[in-house]
Amino acid sequence: MKHLYLSVSILLGMAAVAPLYAQVDLSGVWADRITEDSYERSGGPPLGDYQGIPLNDAGRMKADSHDASEWSLPEFQCRPHPGPYQWRALGAVRISEEIDPVSRELTAFHFEYLRSMERPVFMDGRPHPPDYAPHTWSGFSTGTWKGNMLVITTTHLKGAYLRRNGASFSDKATMMEYITRHGDYLLVTMIVTDPVWLEEPFIQTTNYQLDPHVQLSYYPCTVSEENISTAVPHFLPGQNPNLGADDIPPVAARGGAESTYPEFRLKLKAGTAKEPHSVAAKATATPLNLNLNAGEGEIKVLPVQGNIYMLVGDGGNITASIGRDGILLVDTGLASMSAKAMAKVLELVTATTASPEPNRCVGLHCPGTPYGWSSPSLNAIISSPAPPKPIRYIINTSVDADHTGGNERLALLPADAKIVGVTFPPVGVAPGATVIAHENVLERMSAHGPGQTPAPSGALPTDTYHKENYKLSEFFNGEGIRIIHQPAAHTDGDSMVFFRYSDVLSAGDILNTGSYPVIDVAKGGTIQGILDGLNHILDIAIPEFRSQGGTMIIPGHGRLCDIGDVANYRNMVAIMRDRIQDLKNKGLTVEQVKAARPTMDYDGLYGSDTGPWTTSMFIEAAYNTLTKK
Amino acid sequence: MTCKLPLLAFAGMLIFGAAAYGHHSLAATYYPDREVKLQGTIIDFLFRNPHSFLQIEAKDDKGVMQRWSIEWRSSGQLGQQGIKRDTLKVGDVVDVTINPSRTVADHRGALKALHRKSDGFGWGKEPGDTSE
Repeated sequence: MKHLYLSVSILLGMAAVAPLYAQVDLSGVWADRITEDSYERSGGPPLGDYQGIPLNDAGRMKADSHDASEWSLPEFQCRPHPGPYQWRALGAVRISEEIDPVSRELTAFHFEYLRSMERPVFMDGRPHPPDYAPHTWSGFSTGTWKGNMLVITTTHLKGAYLRRNGASFSDKATMMEYITRHGDYLLVTMIVTDPVWLEEPFIQTTNYQLDPHVQLSYYPCTVSEENISTAVPHFLPGQNPNLGADDIPPVAARGGAESTYPEFRLKLKAGTAKEPHSVAAKATATPLNLNLNAGEGEIKVLPVQGNIYMLVGDGGNITASIGRDGILLVDTGLASMSAKAMAKVLELVTATTASPEPNRCVGLHCPGTPYGWSSPSLNAIISSPAPPKPIRYIINTSVDADHTGGNERLALLPADAKIVGVTFPPVGVAPGATVIAHENVLERMSAHGPGQTPAPSGALPTDTYHKENYKLSEFFNGEGIRIIHQPAAHTDGDSMVFFRYSDVLSAGDILNTGSYPVIDVAKGGTIQGILDGLNHILDIAIPEFRSQGGTMIIPGHGRLCDIGDVANYRNMVAIMRDRIQDLKNKGLTVEQVKAARPTMDYDGLYGSDTGPWTTSMFIEAAYNTLTKK
Repeated sequence: MTCKLPLLAFAGMLIFGAAAYGHHSLAATYYPDREVKLQGTIIDFLFRNPHSFLQIEAKDDKGVMQRWSIEWRSSGQLGQQGIKRDTLKVGDVVDVTINPSRTVADHRGALKALHRKSDGFGWGKEPGDTSE
């Protein structure tokens, strides 16, 4: 009987603690073992060898254009390995657990690799960010347990390489990882799905071994001028001299879904294997006049950094500086959205500047306490803060209606607006926010020739500039603001706005993450101007670490970007320019250039067959603004 | 002797593998089976990680003076071989052998051997002294 009690007690005890051990301990430093993946982890794979990667035709075209000198672009020298490549890269992985100190729940795993940034995998059930949030090289990861297996879902990846010879995934890719521990061995199964460059999911397994003697070493990296040429390195279609240089059968080296299956070897031996061919990714980019949450009719807010917020809605993105000096907007979106935009920025400025703050200081010399009163019982100001200040400045990045449409409504100041430090308008003139733009914007908005309808006077810029730079005459919300003219880019009146302290650049339509660049040739736009503008952004931007974060860039349309995203987009524009220039030099007409499909590899990311800005229109605009050489 | 070479190579891989291969694939960037010899003047020496770069002015095969960017090992690896930031100076005249870039117009290469006539300093002659 005594033994029975003991046994029952032990069983109950085990049951009670069982949930604590349902999760496998993955923490520690796991060493890579160079076996099946030796060339990934050492000197690099043969050029043009895509076997085992289910590339579609677009993915193959992208890979074939790859020139390894691209790695020496300043923006890519310290680029970390991307999430989908990292498991096959050189070096160990350190996994640590983040535990809630009270509940003892596992809230996140943290993965660190030799040359990559720390990668969190959130285990607390949080949702993935909205589609207009930034992408990173490792993506945004959440994890769950399936028995003893950790299942990780990753979205928000920046486009990068699957193999270090050009085989790539796009920023529309998602990744699943299944991690199991078998004693001192870790088995990682990775499945990458990419609607743009893969015809089937790419599946790969990798092993690591727990090694208490391994430390993750410091990986220093500094950027310098490695390339002599300042061009974006790439090979034109059909001109890559390095393809087929290895001993791999060409049919296998071209990759494709079929090359991933065991039966493919039998076909190779039998000589029945065929050159892979699949329908290229369709043009699926977001139509230009709509934004990422198009059709929802709402304004969504993404805090960027410092004073800056990004407002996303139908029409162009709105950049808002919110603070004690009031509100400054870069662009005003569509007219139809202006009431909602106004409500949103007033909500933001109220929450940011006028919310009561507890008095944390006692005594006569408390800094920051208005009028010297320090006792909460005497300081009624805490409970009755001053009203927030209104919209004081609007800066237009271009003349487009989806960037200036809200000017008239948003520039109106409340009748009783009191703006400290600003000269009130003369009697009889309605007070309004100062609207700043390049002079060509005012010229086009006020044009009233045949077939032209001038914008209402309340929507017109009140202050214009015509030089390379325009500096706001005073600090606003504690920082200097620089307006930069980018000639002949999207139009001839483009401005970019740089917030120096917040370190945010609002780029207007020089950068659109969801489409090929919009080149309004009739208004003076050129593809070279777009490229110059993107390079200008890259000159200004500084990454926080490893080509990521730091200076944030708000595009005219699409998701919030950093230097890595702009570099990817710049590379695409440079490659498109070079291809179209080459075809024009060869004497092809614009229709022949379109038929040659020079954009095929990127159409799944930026192309569109319908809407106000199609792939055909982009090719035509680029062609017409390049000079035959 | 035949047994020692693979051992040396393996040891070298263990010691130098991480940083040497941490950046990009040298074989993808340069022709490993081609060599170009240049005589030129050093105009910059970037002693850095993950790879050092030597920039020289030298004539190309057409006799036109070019700026060449020559990739070398990381500063950490070179330091272990006794090469310091001031080992090479701007203005030094050097003979170099490089694996040329696959993008010919780029005028760059991976350093295979270097010799400075003025004092006889050389690199690339001892086992393991190649930049692969």
